[in-house]
Amino acid sequence: MCEAETPDIRIAGLLARITAELREVNEKLELLTSLNRKMLETQEKLLQKSSKEIKPPAEFKLAPDVLALLSLPTSLRKTVMVLYKLEKATAEDIAKETKRLRAVESASANQLVRLGYLKKKREGRDVYFYIEPQLEAIE
Amino acid sequence: MSAKAISIHSSRGGTGKTVIATNLALILAKKGFNVALLDLDFRAPSLEMVFSEVIERPVKCWLNDFLNGECSPEQILIDVSEKYNLKGRLLIGLANPTMDAIRNIMEKSRSWEVTAVKKLFSLLDSLFTDMKIDCCIFDTSPGVQHSSINAIVSSDVSMIITTLDSLDLKGTENMLVDLFGALDKKPVILVNKFSPEARIKSSKISEKIISKLEKTLKHPVIGVIPCYCDVLQTERTTLLAIEKPNHPFIKDLEKVAAELGYT
Repeated sequence: MCEAETPDIRIAGLLARITAELREVNEKLELLTSLNRKMLETQEKLLQKSSKEIKPPAEFKLAPDVLALLSLPTSLRKTVMVLYKLEKATAEDIAKETKRLRAVESASANQLVRLGYLKKKREGRDVYFYIEPQLEAIE
Repeated sequence: MSAKAISIHSSRGGTGKTVIATNLALILAKKGFNVALLDLDFRAPSLEMVFSEVIERPVKCWLNDFLNGECSPEQILIDVSEKYNLKGRLLIGLANPTMDAIRNIMEKSRSWEVTAVKKLFSLLDSLFTDMKIDCCIFDTSPGVQHSSINAIVSSDVSMIITTLDSLDLKGTENMLVDLFGALDKKPVILVNKFSPEARIKSSKISEKIISKLEKTLKHPVIGVIPCYCDVLQTERTTLLAIEKPNHPFIKDLEKVAAELGYT
């Protein structure tokens, strides 16, 4: 005849099972975290590669003259108009003139850089946007 | 009051831009304001002829040379204040009227136009900051042309001169939407050469015209100037603001100056 389990033994067995299952869950979570990290790394590499691919070549540039302005969306047009006035400007400088958010100007200016209308350069911590002085325009 | 750059523009030629720009500049300078009057109509320059009796020949530097980066703002500006005994200063900047210069400007690339609009902004900065100019008036080419749009982009106020001719009005309407709307500029409109009968019942007719036009064009109309035959027949070198200061045309322009904030 089997000796009846005392409540203490039952609780100890239950706790041991819970611990074992938690350990298993933990291992699975660690695996998932590691997989997720690898996915993020791959995604970032792909993004970097594709942004390099869509980036216009260094010699690609367009003259942002007033007639070109008319074909640009209003948001981009305002940014160019400020850069006619200022030699070079950070997104914050542009935002002060247009009374729009710095983030909006940063997005507009970067889009204009990608389109080939503007250039940008880093000076210390600041990024300056400017119209290249000696443009060889694509007419 | 803060200094302003005013571009005077129209959809078509022959609306009276140059006569208005010149006399407005003289009216302001007579009042004691420091004014710069610049000829940005590089395809059909006219200020050189308007001021031919007071400018010294040969002209050393033209506005064309400044935009080409060949001379400084000081070199292109001719001070005519003493010649007309003006209370304020009147500086004029002339466009080169020779055929070579006109052809040269017509051959300019779009990249040159980018430099030109930037030079225009730097010129305004010199005028307002260093030379203490209160008002800079641009006389422009009619229609949609690089030099005119450069002037519109760099000015604080654009004044469109229109007659009530249907083509002129339609052109103005299109420009207001496609050009000024796109550039986010809010121009004012001045009706010129209106029917001579307007002189008889001037105020009532003007009010009616202004209200009707403002409804159609959706922009402020700052005045209606009747057609004065003697103004049309006057030699271009005759400056009414100096020679006939009591002429009704000049009185009408004085009201326009007040509307623009120069009292």
